[in-house]
Amino acid sequence: MNKITVGLIFGALLGAIDGATAWFTPEVRSMMASIMVGSTIKGMIVGLLSGWFARKVDSMQWGIALGSVLGLGFAYAVAAMQGDHYLEIMLPGFAVGAIVGFLTQKMGTPGPVKRTS
Amino acid sequence: MELSDHIVRHLREVVDLPDLSGTRYELREVLGRGGLGVVYAAWDAHLERRVALKVMDAEWAGEARLIARLEHPGIVPVYEAGTLPDGRAFYAMKLVDGTRADRFLAADPPLGERLRVLERIGEALAYAHSCGVLHRDLKPQNIMVGRFGEVYVMDWAVDGVAGTPAFRAPESAVDERSDVYAFGALLAFLLPQGAPTALRAIAAKAMNTRPEERYPGVPAVLREVERFQDGLAVEAYVENPWQRVRRFSRRNEVLLWLLAAYAAIKFLLFFARAI
Amino acid sequence: MWRDADTAIGGNRDNFPSTQLSLIEAAAGEPLALERVAALYWKPVYKFIRYKFVKSNEEAKDLTQGFFASALERDFFQRFDPSKAGFRTYIRLAVERFAATRHQADTRQKRGGGVDPVALDETLDEMAGSAESPEEIFFQEWRRQLFALALDELRAECAASGRHTEWAVFEAYDLADEDRPAYSELARLHGIRESAVTNYLAWARRRLRALVTERLRGVTSGPGELREELRRLWS
Repeated sequence: MNKITVGLIFGALLGAIDGATAWFTPEVRSMMASIMVGSTIKGMIVGLLSGWFARKVDSMQWGIALGSVLGLGFAYAVAAMQGDHYLEIMLPGFAVGAIVGFLTQKMGTPGPVKRTS
Repeated sequence: MELSDHIVRHLREVVDLPDLSGTRYELREVLGRGGLGVVYAAWDAHLERRVALKVMDAEWAGEARLIARLEHPGIVPVYEAGTLPDGRAFYAMKLVDGTRADRFLAADPPLGERLRVLERIGEALAYAHSCGVLHRDLKPQNIMVGRFGEVYVMDWAVDGVAGTPAFRAPESAVDERSDVYAFGALLAFLLPQGAPTALRAIAAKAMNTRPEERYPGVPAVLREVERFQDGLAVEAYVENPWQRVRRFSRRNEVLLWLLAAYAAIKFLLFFARAI
Repeated sequence: MWRDADTAIGGNRDNFPSTQLSLIEAAAGEPLALERVAALYWKPVYKFIRYKFVKSNEEAKDLTQGFFASALERDFFQRFDPSKAGFRTYIRLAVERFAATRHQADTRQKRGGGVDPVALDETLDEMAGSAESPEEIFFQEWRRQLFALALDELRAECAASGRHTEWAVFEAYDLADEDRPAYSELARLHGIRESAVTNYLAWARRRLRALVTERLRGVTSGPGELREELRRLWS
């Protein structure tokens, strides 16, 4: 399994789980389905980009950093679309991005050329 | 003939010295006496370098040739083998510049370094076993650690010499498993006070009084030590559930912290909203 | 006590060219083998008895003779078990046992007197001069005798094969009790080159080493013990 696939799979999985936690916020519970879908797609994009990065660069620190930034960025985009719940979306998105970044660095086979730092 | 002490002492000094005429070596000093013969430092006049010369009675020349065929970074390379004018056999080998393993420990090296030395010893042993050669007298005094990290296993296959009691397996038959025993004893010797229980367990298993209960060979011991270093479970040491959890969390520390961070964020947000 | 009748030129000293005398032959009662054991051990045993049991010269001689007589009679050699200890230790322990029982018998007999105080004083004086234990003395005498016997053989060999210069040079240099002469001096004295001096010495030392090894072979049980004894001898 190459790193991009790892990113896609875990990004989707963790995104879905993160979306599911919306259940604990009663006021948005009704929209849970769309939240989960959005979260999953967000996760997959973060995972894809992190995976691609991990194929090129072998660095746990940079991988986590990039994943966090991507997670934060896309979570902001989602929150901006809603105009609400910025903190509740961005902070977990940041953490999930970090996890996805970590997993893509640790698991999966890298590409043919690897720079280590 | 009544010989004075003075004369006897002199004779002892000169008569045993090897006559190196006809060889390219010049005798320098006595380095030590092993089971097989005497080792001298000598000067190789052709290549202009110091070498070690091991001199032994001709009957042991066969053993020397056997060992000379071994080629491995952990085994001292043999440059030349021959016969001296007085009939004794010799072989010229690399003069190792380093310390014996027992003195190496006096500097209290870290565990990682000790395990690295053990690994090198194991690799040399495994290679020799694959060539059908046993060591038979493995002990710290036969391990040299060079100044630049080289590790050499010396004084091989001395048949007839019983080995040193603390490192000699209890059974009388000598085969790979007796070397495994000695290897385990070496591991135990290299471990510092308060070393992880898993490592002690590995050593204990290798030193089991029943050969069948030991590891089947040196490679198996090396794999165990490798598993320990990777934070995996070790065959020799059965953990209780709590120890397994601790080991797992040590191995996956970063992930667990990240997950904990996620959970903490979620909780904080949840309770912050509730206020 | 033992003189080599065989004067073969170079080569093996014994009358038995291919067999190598060892304790096995001694155990079998082979006279030459037994003689070699006695030749080597007489002086060490004598000195050991003197020091260990504080005997005068005469008494120690008596006891030594008695020991060898009794040892050569009974199955002394057959009872030797190489796995327990070396032959040298075996003999020493046997001497201790022998002398102890005789000592007890003697003191019971001579309770009132019969001990010569002057002779004893001699022994005690000698003992005071050396710092070693009787066991160490035993080993040192044994080593000394080993060399002495081998040197006798070498001298005879040189005489028989006409190697007079070789022996002379060797004797002058390696057997010198005081200062050793320089090679140049020896060369001048014997009308040979200095390189010849080196060669002669090398040859003589080689021969001596071989002769010592052969003697040692005759009093050890096999290659393992031989190697051990050689190591003790040279280190």
